Amino acid sequence: MSLKKFSELFVDLDSSNSTNNKIEVLKNYFLSNDPIDNSWAIYLLTGKSNKRFISGRYLKNLFSQIYEYPLWLIDTCYLKVGDSAEVITLLLKNKSTSRKKELSNISLNQLLSKTMPDLLKLNEEEKNLQIKNIWERLPQDYHLIFNKILTGTFRVGVSIGLITKSISKLINIDEEIISHRLMGNFKPSIDSYEFLINKNINREELNSKPFPFLLANTIEDKIFKNSINDFQFEWKYDGIRMQLIKRSGNVSLWTRGQELVNESFPELVEKMSHLKDDFVLDGELLVWNFKEQIAFDFSLLQKRINRKSPTRSIQIKYPIIFIAYDLLEINGRDIREIKLEDRRIELEKYFSKWQNKTENNISDIFKICDLIFPKDWPDALTYKEKSRENNTEGLIIKKKTSVYSSGRKKGIWWKYKVDPMQLDAVLIYAKGGSGRRAGLYTDYSFALWKDEELIKFASAYSGLTNIEIKELDKWIRKNTIEKFGPVRSLKPEMVFEISFEKIQISKRHKSGIAVRFPRITKWRKDKKINDADSLENAYELMKKIS
Amino acid sequence: MRTEQEYLINYKDGNLYCELADIWIDPSKPVKKALITHAHFDHFTFGCEEYISTKETAILLKERVGDNIKIKTFEYGEEFKINGINISFHPSGHILGSSQIRFVFAEEKWLISGDFKLQKDQTCKEYELVKTDYLISECTFGLPIFKWDNSKKIANDISKWITNTPEKTSLLFCYSLGKAQRLLNEISQTNFKGNIYSHGSIYKMNNIYRGLGIDIKDTIKIENKKKIDELKGSLILLPPSLSKGSYLKNFKNIQTAFASGWMSIRALRKRSGYDKGFAISDHADWDGILELVKKSEAKNVFFHHGDSEALTKYLVEKESINVLFFGK
Repeated sequence: MSLKKFSELFVDLDSSNSTNNKIEVLKNYFLSNDPIDNSWAIYLLTGKSNKRFISGRYLKNLFSQIYEYPLWLIDTCYLKVGDSAEVITLLLKNKSTSRKKELSNISLNQLLSKTMPDLLKLNEEEKNLQIKNIWERLPQDYHLIFNKILTGTFRVGVSIGLITKSISKLINIDEEIISHRLMGNFKPSIDSYEFLINKNINREELNSKPFPFLLANTIEDKIFKNSINDFQFEWKYDGIRMQLIKRSGNVSLWTRGQELVNESFPELVEKMSHLKDDFVLDGELLVWNFKEQIAFDFSLLQKRINRKSPTRSIQIKYPIIFIAYDLLEINGRDIREIKLEDRRIELEKYFSKWQNKTENNISDIFKICDLIFPKDWPDALTYKEKSRENNTEGLIIKKKTSVYSSGRKKGIWWKYKVDPMQLDAVLIYAKGGSGRRAGLYTDYSFALWKDEELIKFASAYSGLTNIEIKELDKWIRKNTIEKFGPVRSLKPEMVFEISFEKIQISKRHKSGIAVRFPRITKWRKDKKINDADSLENAYELMKKIS
Repeated sequence: MRTEQEYLINYKDGNLYCELADIWIDPSKPVKKALITHAHFDHFTFGCEEYISTKETAILLKERVGDNIKIKTFEYGEEFKINGINISFHPSGHILGSSQIRFVFAEEKWLISGDFKLQKDQTCKEYELVKTDYLISECTFGLPIFKWDNSKKIANDISKWITNTPEKTSLLFCYSLGKAQRLLNEISQTNFKGNIYSHGSIYKMNNIYRGLGIDIKDTIKIENKKKIDELKGSLILLPPSLSKGSYLKNFKNIQTAFASGWMSIRALRKRSGYDKGFAISDHADWDGILELVKKSEAKNVFFHHGDSEALTKYLVEKESINVLFFGK
């Protein structure tokens, strides 16, 4: 039960391009390791936390200093390798010492729950010495894992979906359940792993967790062949998708990124907690223009997202609303398996009940989404084109018979965006601006996912406000992984919505696509990098347009 | 210091050339007289009037260029004279027949390393240390991130890779001359005892090696396989040129790997498109290059075949060795 097993797991996962293979490898790993190591493995592989103990730059400097190795040579090597943790791992091969590898039996748990946190207690000099010590006492095969954990760059081709599948196979329980169990905060412990693999499904255990979200796919042509009456039409709001949960009287508000945001929206939590019923609602949080009954721009919502315990005046200045799309659970009864049209009836029934309570008027903070009833598909198109007028992004089209499963299930929910030339991308490089913007990082490069890798697809300079530029500049300086000349590579963390005019195949770009006039249209602080689009999404977009 | 026109060996049209002897080393275009360090395609060309090489290289060369070429052979260490220059071949440890070439003229010694490695390889003569004044060395892997593991370890990794997935057919891509034979030799000493198949181009080279007394395990020519099912659990050696395109459709349930020094870098491994990479090389790693430079006692060093910037800076700063550049 040692780090050895985890290193081997890493190598195996890394050297497989087949999903089935990876699932098999993971399953076998879980079978042959301690619950505690398994829970750490899940924690690392799902990127639940990529805490950075030291930066890549620090790591290289440290190696240079310890082994009197020229920094320029390390930097030259970096250009070839592209990852500080790996460069140092490769260079350490030359520094094999005759010392006994006392750490060859260290477990993943020991490393992550003891050795790593202990590092943080040391002053710089002690810390450096301790890292050197670990390098020398740790067998060479584990150096990469250790260095990657150190620099917070642990990423391997494994998604939460793969973990979910492999555990589901391991214990023969439906993926939905496992994915539900993995929602929310995952704290590595024996308990959390045993909870995950528990063969008895106990609803109450999941009480603190939101349901896995069901996501809409980009519209497909084949939908137009169906009768319009088979679908429910909603506006596609541009806010933050959330689940509003009240169970045993406690209200919790979860974002799609699985963050608990009760503290940012206390007025909503307060209001909803007075309702008699328990429920799980799927919906959207928006800053709402009550006079005109439309959403304010997303940028106003950003004023609320990261602000915990907002003052009364902030609450008044940026009034929020939760618009419920769907009712998933009511008074302890999970109704995700019944048809959407029936869930809608329930949703309307309870909404009118809640609304009519005079002592607790919820209408200033909560409503259910209005439905749209287009006569035919061309009419639906007209609605879509009008969506800008009420500050929505288009339509969401849902099959009336759809049950609420999880993930981006094909063929049941679609998004029909007014401006389809948009992708959510991850900021990966920044370059200093010139002229008016000199001294600030204002030229940005953005990437999309390809499997588990981020591939650069566009550069953009415009679209952010001056305040946002300053804020981002500050973040860039704090989150630089490497500097090459004027360019900084950044910790993949920030997601932006990029709009463009044209998208086409390009052999010159690694991504294989080129976009025209890319610009930033939104800083998606509500999104995690895993929510960013993939190259595949870009290709689909291209197909649709041509 | 002399000007470059006065060097015994110089760069001309992108090739190494000794004007005094009017002889080229591994030329990439047809010339009158060509010294050939070894029989890899990027080290010789068709159509030279006369080739000079070791005996083993000559046999391999004839296989590749044709029997009718004019070729003169010498034993390792045997000196011959052209225009008053003493020339000799010395083992470079790269592949069978590969050599370093030494030039001695008026008590000045020059050494062309050819492609070389210091690692043990039972399929060719071990690299011989040759002292020199001027050294022209390859530097394909001229960065310290390149540090080869023992080839026994790599062979065991390959063996495990195959035996851990007995339901699959394992395709290992490697250069058909040299690397393939070295791998065969190493793999036959591991726990993997299943069938090994070779592509025709590799099979042919295996036979030549065997004819020259090298111990190479028998393999089955892949072109002779009868049923696709017999390939399950076995190893197939293929040249890298077949890794892309429709050739792979000849197999089912495969896993692929590439054996090359470049595979020590994760990004290159990922980009290569193979499932797995085995970092084994017939070139010297960083330490190997430094060792050659130091032990050869050369006062002046030239690099070619690779990116030499870091290596040059390192030698000049750390070892105070004079690194020179040919005019381009």
